[in-house]
Amino acid sequence: MAGGPSGDRIIYVDMTSQSAEVRDFPAEWKLLGGRALSAKILLAECDPACDPLGPDNVLVMAPGVLSGTAAPTSGRISIGGKSPLTGGIKEANAGGNPGQHLMKLGFRAIVVKGQPADADARYGLEIDGDGVRVVAADEYKGLWNYALCERLHGRYPKESSFISCGPAGELRLAGASVACTDQDNRYPARHAARGGLGAVMGAKGLKFVMVDPGKTSARQPADRKAFGALCKQYTKDYLAGPQMFKTGTSSVVPVANMLHTFPYKNRTEGQSPDAQTLDGARIVESFEERGGGMHNCMTGCIVKCSNVVHDAEGNYKTSALEFETLTLLGANCAVSSWEDVADLDRLCDEVGLDTIETGAAIAVLMDSGQMDWGDAPAMKALLEEIAKGTDRGKAIGNGAVATGKYAKHGRVPHAKGQAMPAWDPRPLKATGVTYCTSPMGADHTAGLIVNPGLQPDQFAWESQKAQIVNAVCDSSGFCQFLQPTMDDIRGFYAALYGEDVSREAIHDQGWECLEDEWKFNSGAGFGDEDDVLSEPMLKDPIGAAPTVFDVSDDIVRAAKQRMPAAEDLFTTKATG
Amino acid sequence: MPVVIVPPPYRGPTGGAAEVKVEDGSVRACLEAVEQEHPGFLGQVLDGGGQPHRFVRLFVNGEPLASDALETALAGDDRLEIVAAIAGG
Repeated sequence: MAGGPSGDRIIYVDMTSQSAEVRDFPAEWKLLGGRALSAKILLAECDPACDPLGPDNVLVMAPGVLSGTAAPTSGRISIGGKSPLTGGIKEANAGGNPGQHLMKLGFRAIVVKGQPADADARYGLEIDGDGVRVVAADEYKGLWNYALCERLHGRYPKESSFISCGPAGELRLAGASVACTDQDNRYPARHAARGGLGAVMGAKGLKFVMVDPGKTSARQPADRKAFGALCKQYTKDYLAGPQMFKTGTSSVVPVANMLHTFPYKNRTEGQSPDAQTLDGARIVESFEERGGGMHNCMTGCIVKCSNVVHDAEGNYKTSALEFETLTLLGANCAVSSWEDVADLDRLCDEVGLDTIETGAAIAVLMDSGQMDWGDAPAMKALLEEIAKGTDRGKAIGNGAVATGKYAKHGRVPHAKGQAMPAWDPRPLKATGVTYCTSPMGADHTAGLIVNPGLQPDQFAWESQKAQIVNAVCDSSGFCQFLQPTMDDIRGFYAALYGEDVSREAIHDQGWECLEDEWKFNSGAGFGDEDDVLSEPMLKDPIGAAPTVFDVSDDIVRAAKQRMPAAEDLFTTKATG
Repeated sequence: MPVVIVPPPYRGPTGGAAEVKVEDGSVRACLEAVEQEHPGFLGQVLDGGGQPHRFVRLFVNGEPLASDALETALAGDDRLEIVAAIAGG
């Protein structure tokens, strides 16, 4: 039984001429979505040596293969391009509804090329059942993300979802994010944050994308009975399990602190004395008095890990306040109040910034002595400064490495120019191997391994396995917090297209995605010598038994050599 | 002998061991037996008051164990699984 969704298309946008055309989606790519599709398009259509902020970079927006179907928690969309932060390939993905809406309309990707001659001009991209149009959008220039989406809601049908960049993207700052509206289509609170892809969007003069799904319905699988049964069983099993994220990822704070991977003061320590006040449990406690609560960020999500945070007056403040944000904008800057971090999170979403990169950058500034540790009011003022484009604001908005240069400060924890996320490579050495070898630089979503008991001879395989599993997950549209295995994913693919997808085929897909990305990076000038962590990770010990990242080059290199698939490759859960 | 299944984040003290066999006893006694063999383990599972941390879930033979049921007896092939929340976001 073959079949499944057919007639899919791909949108090509030329920002030089402000025109768009729709082409058929190659049938042989039907099992490529999200990250793997983005990598394939970039390798084929983008010169890896190009200026990431110039006309030759290509911005890809690609929902996962399962987006738009009834599969649970499957609506994520990948944003891809050459990163202005790392100089290599980047994929960052987000929840919200744009991915679902694009797929319901049959659009597998948006490929944005070129650049307007007038750098001050702004444009929007309208996508609906009538077609695809580039429209003038100068009136939205410089708007913060929330104000922008409020204005767009007044202009377009209420079912519409939006993808946008804030002032940081328009200023072409390398820490800029791409925002997606959440499942209520109201708030631009879901961000494809890492790697500065918001700057690529801004450099193309593209302020927003509007997707109006109209009255389209879910994508229909080839084997409806099998697909429906899979959805039902998978949901039942998940809901019968521990549901460890039902109070949000912020509930991970005490575990991370216990494991010495809740970095404090620019990662000079692995534990924060403020873990109690930054614990997500405090956020959950606030729900009773202030309102807010847990919700699903995208239609059809069963994980519901996203918190909606209210202020003391009971008004919406931000969503979602995640573990990584509490770590980088909180503990790492010695900020002790989760409420201050909530304010900072909202500001980052407004200006359109990666909370990880921005928090790391501010910690570098603090470590240099040019801002006091824990000075939350000064941090908030600084985030507003970024939107105004001051020299100091630009340094912070360009990320941790740029801030280190601006502040003339050498302690900058990063890999390939991208700041370290919370999960620290010193106690978690296999995760460090991922940071070294991932085409993405220091990105926990590329292959997180939280197992401090691993032995050195296990690091390479554990990292490679996690990188393959997460690449496949990020190509499927499934959220990593659903924690699907590769066997789960190929089961859904088989029912979607009515044909068997073997273990070998899904393994090949994950590996090919990594190979495409490594190939792109090679063209961009990366070599083995770049598969390293920055000096602080090698010299500043942390942990109960203080340790540095001391994994040998041979082990790091081995993670990039394809190993035979062991059984656990197919049963390991995606984790990010 | 009952088996205690150690989640990956808690395998530092066990030196990477994913399973530890223990003598028959209560859930609490089994956890304490792992601590005897692998110092540093127990504090990851139980708080200062001797109760499971808020971020830990215990399962016996696949069934969730209430946090106040640490005196439940384990014997034979029983499997005590510890689950810990780990994710970025």
